[in-house]
Amino acid sequence: MSLQPGERFPDLELPDHSGSPRSLRELVAGDPAILHFYRGWWCPKEQAFLRRLVALQDELEVAYVRIVSVSVDAPQTSAALRAGLGARWTFLSDADRTWQTRLKLRETTDTVHDPYVPAVFTLFPDRLIHSAYDGYWTLGRPTNEELRIDLRTIQSQIRADWHAPAA
Amino acid sequence: MSWAWLDLADNEPARGTLCTAVRDAAGEPAGWLAAWRRRARPTRTALRVFDAILDEHGAPAAISLTLPPPGVRVAFDDVAVQQARRTILANPPWDAVSTLLSDASHFEGAVVVARGDDAVRRLADDPFARIFPARVLLVDGELLGRIAPPAGPTIERYGSAEPWPSDRFA
Repeated sequence: MSLQPGERFPDLELPDHSGSPRSLRELVAGDPAILHFYRGWWCPKEQAFLRRLVALQDELEVAYVRIVSVSVDAPQTSAALRAGLGARWTFLSDADRTWQTRLKLRETTDTVHDPYVPAVFTLFPDRLIHSAYDGYWTLGRPTNEELRIDLRTIQSQIRADWHAPAA
Repeated sequence: MSWAWLDLADNEPARGTLCTAVRDAAGEPAGWLAAWRRRARPTRTALRVFDAILDEHGAPAAISLTLPPPGVRVAFDDVAVQQARRTILANPPWDAVSTLLSDASHFEGAVVVARGDDAVRRLADDPFARIFPARVLLVDGELLGRIAPPAGPTIERYGSAEPWPSDRFA
């Protein structure tokens, strides 16, 4: 399965942090999105990146942009992490590792947690991949500024009134 | 159209509506909660509600119904309303949520739906109840459903006349 820019991201179907079944198609729902795979609640590097996203959410909450985070943590673990961070977006749980295998995003160097390899994708509303970031090394992950630029590029291509109607 | 009309009435409304009996937290009759899926406003006090929360097969539920005192309303973009929407997103999800409004720019209440043994206790923490007075009511079935929690972090409406969390441009 190719997860490169220009490819369409599969329509994940997983339970969210409340245990409710969700689909990626429904969560993206016509907006640009940040799709984020993380190792788990226990990883300090993930905690640091999640705090960056929490800082960004105050800006994105009025920008018609979605964030979705995915891990192998159980829903109740994701809910606790989400609450602790103050995150206000949806966390998906792939505790059975169903999609981890299909997406080929298993981190093979951690045989203890068998987690997702950290990865970030920016998506068009139809789940077309705009950018893909390999976050195995911390600095491989996007900065908030890079995310802003990606999202601005996507928005400018999908919003018919991107250039303000003015007289 | 992603919105319908909702009203708490003293008497059972005429046919053509979704309607269910309502009791207060002590179990005493408290009127009828009715919804209309049509464009024209059905009653003087009806307010727009997110259509997706209506379900003619919905189970009985407890609700927190926040309504302003007569003649009072605040801007939908008031920081208190924004913060209530943030709190809804941050906290454990409800069965359904909708703001209530009659125009494109004002917040005129909210309905929050919960089920389960602790529903009434949880509804005491309805974030919208910090803005206007709220009543916790027990609603019979066949009116309110259960929908997936809003996808955050967006707190804006998709079209200013839409009740939040409507998630499509009209």
